[in-house]
Amino acid sequence: MARTEQQSNDKFAGRWFWRYASPAAFYPLAGKIENVCWVLACLLTLVGLYVGFFVAPTDATQGEVYRVIFIHVPAAWMAMVIYLAMAFWAGTGLVLGTRLSFMMSHALAPTGAIMAVVALWTGALWGRPTWGTYWVWDARITSTLILFFLYVGYMALAAAFDDKKKGDRASALIALVGAINVPIIYFSVKWWTTLHQGSSVRPGSSSMATTMLWAMLIMTFAFWAYCVAAAMHRLRTQIIERESGSAWLREAVK
Amino acid sequence: MSLRTVAGAVFRREMQLFARRKSDWANPIVFFLIVCSLFPFAVGSESEKLKLIGIGVIFVGALLSAMLSLPRLFDDDARDGSLELMLASSEPLAVLILARITALSLGLGAALTIAAPVFALFYALPFAVAGMLALSVAMAVPTLLLIGAIAAALLVSARGGAILTAVLVLPLTIPTLIFGAGAALKVFYGEPPAAELALQGAFLLLALALCPLAAAAALKISTD
Repeated sequence: MARTEQQSNDKFAGRWFWRYASPAAFYPLAGKIENVCWVLACLLTLVGLYVGFFVAPTDATQGEVYRVIFIHVPAAWMAMVIYLAMAFWAGTGLVLGTRLSFMMSHALAPTGAIMAVVALWTGALWGRPTWGTYWVWDARITSTLILFFLYVGYMALAAAFDDKKKGDRASALIALVGAINVPIIYFSVKWWTTLHQGSSVRPGSSSMATTMLWAMLIMTFAFWAYCVAAAMHRLRTQIIERESGSAWLREAVK
Repeated sequence: MSLRTVAGAVFRREMQLFARRKSDWANPIVFFLIVCSLFPFAVGSESEKLKLIGIGVIFVGALLSAMLSLPRLFDDDARDGSLELMLASSEPLAVLILARITALSLGLGAALTIAAPVFALFYALPFAVAGMLALSVAMAVPTLLLIGAIAAALLVSARGGAILTAVLVLPLTIPTLIFGAGAALKVFYGEPPAAELALQGAFLLLALALCPLAAAAALKISTD
């Protein structure tokens, strides 16, 4: 381990961050990031949910049910952000050939898919009392559903190859194709819904109380922390799986 | 050999194969026919009901049957070794792939374009709508084949086959589906379909510009 690190340090003198493209160098750092983020996620969730459920006022038109927004909206945001991050690491992997980038991309995909499902599920539970139906073919809901399909396609493709390296590059390519398509799909769906049905009343179109905004902000950071922690955990598991033969790993997990 | 000769040879070979292996275009048409005839059994035979779902069913049916033809883009060639020759060629791979997709689009696209307005009769759709449906299908099938070529190229050496192709390709064809079926719907409601057709054309051109390059990269990855 020491030798390879020395080499890479010499090669990229002054660019300390390149060092972390090596699984051996990043593995311990990922562990630290993971721990910090787990703590942050727990604390922020507790504070955020407390503010959201007990401090924030009852909504004038929706009553108590609006409080699902504190989970629904951060989850929907994360589903989108994670797709971009995933495509970014996939692209980085394709260009630079760094295997840790592909692992990062794989580590993000399940969390992103879960976020999409959470957003859809809480949206359905919210829609029933406010709109009178679990599902509306509204632009945002529909594009989140399609985003979920893209996550599933990415994961299924990565798993379809016996040769892991091939699976890495193939799924990276499809992640990039998806990333180009996401805006096209979003605007198509938006146009489609405005063509075929009147736009539905959007929650949150009225101005929000400050405490509501705070709760949402804190919950958003909680979701960020959770997603980073989960991704780092999955990344470490992947490193252990893939680098299982290497000496540094035996040293690190001893 | 110039690029034009090579691409032309690939195109001609594909067209000849298509003409000689009748199952390549006959099976998709039969599949399309069966899909279109299943829905009335499920929905009921009143023509008012059928009119409303007809455009969507026919459009989705055409996309599905084009999708099922995707494996024939590269799979047979991978088996008999001609794919290796194509990869070894000094000409740009993207252009050769484009030649193949063009041939398949012309053959399969024409077959589905002729079939779509005929199947529109099942759903008691007016002639103007059937005509617009044919035009939409004629633009949508090449778009789907272009996007699908990426997935087909990736899956040459993977497990999963047809289902995985569907999971990868169908979500990406939703814009084409929206505006393709949308154009026919506009005619159905007596409005001008120009905007939908323009957007559908835009998707086709965008796919034409980007997909062959992505498919070439995909083929290099999967046959590495």
